[in-house]
Amino acid sequence: MASPVPLKVVKDIEQPASEAPLYEIRQKIYPRAVSGWFAHWRLGLVVATQLLFYGLPWLTWNARPAVLFDLASRKFYILGMVLWPQDFIFLAGLLVISALSLFLFTAVGGRLFCGYACPQTVYTEIFLWIERKIEGDRARRMRLDGAALDADKLLRKTVKHLLWLCVGLWTGITFVGYFTPIRTLLGEVISLSPGPWETFWMLFYGFATYGNAGWMREQVCKYMCPYARFQSAMFDPDTLIITYDAQRGEPRGSRARSTDYKAKGLGACVDCGICVQVCPTGIDIRRGLQYECIGCAACVDGCNQVMDKMGYPRGLIRYSTQNALKQDWTSSQMAARVFRPRVLVYIGLLLLIVTVWSTALALRSPLKVDVIRDRAALMRETREGKIENVYRLQIMNTDEQAHRYVIKASGLNDMRVTPFAPVSVAGATTQSVVVTLEVDPARNKPGSHSILFQVEDMDQPATRAIEKSRFIIK
Amino acid sequence: MKRAMWILWPSFLVGGTAEMVFFTLLDPADLHVFGNPVELSRTAIYTLGFFLFWLFTAASSALTCYLLQTSNESTGESTGQ
Ligand code: SF4
Ligand code: SF4
Repeated sequence: MASPVPLKVVKDIEQPASEAPLYEIRQKIYPRAVSGWFAHWRLGLVVATQLLFYGLPWLTWNARPAVLFDLASRKFYILGMVLWPQDFIFLAGLLVISALSLFLFTAVGGRLFCGYACPQTVYTEIFLWIERKIEGDRARRMRLDGAALDADKLLRKTVKHLLWLCVGLWTGITFVGYFTPIRTLLGEVISLSPGPWETFWMLFYGFATYGNAGWMREQVCKYMCPYARFQSAMFDPDTLIITYDAQRGEPRGSRARSTDYKAKGLGACVDCGICVQVCPTGIDIRRGLQYECIGCAACVDGCNQVMDKMGYPRGLIRYSTQNALKQDWTSSQMAARVFRPRVLVYIGLLLLIVTVWSTALALRSPLKVDVIRDRAALMRETREGKIENVYRLQIMNTDEQAHRYVIKASGLNDMRVTPFAPVSVAGATTQSVVVTLEVDPARNKPGSHSILFQVEDMDQPATRAIEKSRFIIK
Repeated sequence: MKRAMWILWPSFLVGGTAEMVFFTLLDPADLHVFGNPVELSRTAIYTLGFFLFWLFTAASSALTCYLLQTSNESTGESTGQ
C-alpha cells in the first residue's frame, strides 16, 4: 500500500507559534464570499442535508413519526422497522459501514466530507450567510468590527445574534424532535410546557450549534476534530487534494492585465490574495497542503474567477493528486488511478458488510422470547398429584401489527401448558406472560430436565421462537 | 481556550459512546443505587448518565493534558502544537 502523504505543517508567520499559555489570541477570520462551481455544490449540499435533518422528524408513517428514537420506551422506529436494544448489533453494523464509507471517500476524494457535508461546515455556512446579510461583505464586516460601538453597530450585532440564536434553537428543537415526536414537542414549546429534560437538551444543543457555528468555526476543525488528524493515514499520493500549481504560478507577482508576464519571467499567480481571503480556515494554499485545509474548494472558485478576469486558463488552484501534479498527468490519467488496490479493498469490504448487514436485517425475526423461571418456587405439587413449574415469558412483538401467539412446550411426556389459548400481543410491544407447565410424575423421571418452549405466530406459523429452560421434578 | 477544547471535545465523543453502549445493554429502569431502585424517569437517567460519563472522561483528558504540560515544562520540550 502506498505510503501516507506527509502533511506539511506550516507555521503561521503572523502568529508566532510559541506555546501559548491558556488562551491564545485567535485572529478572527473574515471569509470572503465566493461564487463558482464548487460553491454551488456546497450550497446544494447544505440545502439537501438540512432539508433532511430539519424535515425528517415531520415525516409520518403508519400514523406515527417515520423516524423516532423513543428512548423513554427503549424503541427505535425507522420507517417500517422497530428496533429494540437487542438489535444493537445493527446499529454497530451501521457505524462500521459509515466508517468504511468515510475511509473510501477520503482515500479517493480527500476531505470531501469536511468541505461539503460536515455539520460544522454546513452550519458555519448558514451562520456566515446570515452574517453577510446583516453585516455586509468581508470589508464591511472588518470595518464594523474595528469601529467604535454606535447605534448602528449595536443594532446589527444584536439582530445577527438573535437570528443565530433562532437558528440554534430551531436546530435544538429538531434534534430533540428525533427523540420526542416533534409535533407534540412543538405544541409543548409553544405553550411553554416542555419537560425539564427536553428543555435542557433543546437549549444545550441549540447553544452548541450557536457556539460552534457562530464563534468557534474553523477552530473546531483545527483543534477539535480527530478526523482532520487521521486523514494523513487515509491519504495516498493518488488522493484528490486541493493543490496550487506552483510550477505554473511562481514566481508570483502583480501585473497589469495587458502585460506579457511570461516575457517578464512571472508565473500565473497575480498575488491578489483572493485565495487567502476566501479561505474559511485562513490559510494560504500556495504554501502546500496543510492539515488545516478542509478541502472546501473556495480558493479554487476564487482563483478561477481571477484567472478568468486576467484571461488566463483556469485551474491554477485545482483538485489534483500529488502524483498527477508531479508527473503532469491529464485528468483521464488521474481517473485511471482511482481504482487502485487500496480503493478496491475498501470497496470489497464495504460491499461485503453491506450485504451481510442488509440480509441480516431483512431476515430479522419479528418475534423474540425470553424465558425466566419463577424464582419464588422451584416446583409445586397440585391437588391432583401433578408437578407444576412456573415461568415468565417475555414475548416481544417487534412488528407493527398485533399478533397472536401459541405457546407450546416439549421435552417431557404429556406436558400441559397454561395458558392454552393464544396470547395476543399488540404491535411493537413486549408482553410478560406467566406460563405454568404441568406433568405427571408417574410418567417422568425425577430430576432437572431440559425443556423447550416454542412460541408460534398463529397468523404466520413460519415466525416462531424456541427457547430453552429447565423443568424440575423432585 | 484550545486546552479547554482538547479536554472537552474528545471526552464528549468518548463519553457519548460509553453512554450508548452502557444504556443499550442496561435498562435504566433496572438500575439500583446502593440497593435502592432509582426513582427517576428514563430520560432523566440518560441525561444524568451522559454527564457523569462526560465528567469522568473529561477528568481523564484533563489529567493527560496536565501530565503532558508538566513533562514539557520539566524537559523543556515544546508540544509542537
Ligand atoms: S487567487 Fe490565484 S492568483 Fe490570486 S493569489 Fe491566489 S493563487 Fe494567486
Ligand atoms: S485552502 Fe482552499 S480548500 Fe483549503 S480550506 Fe482554504 S479555501 Fe478551502
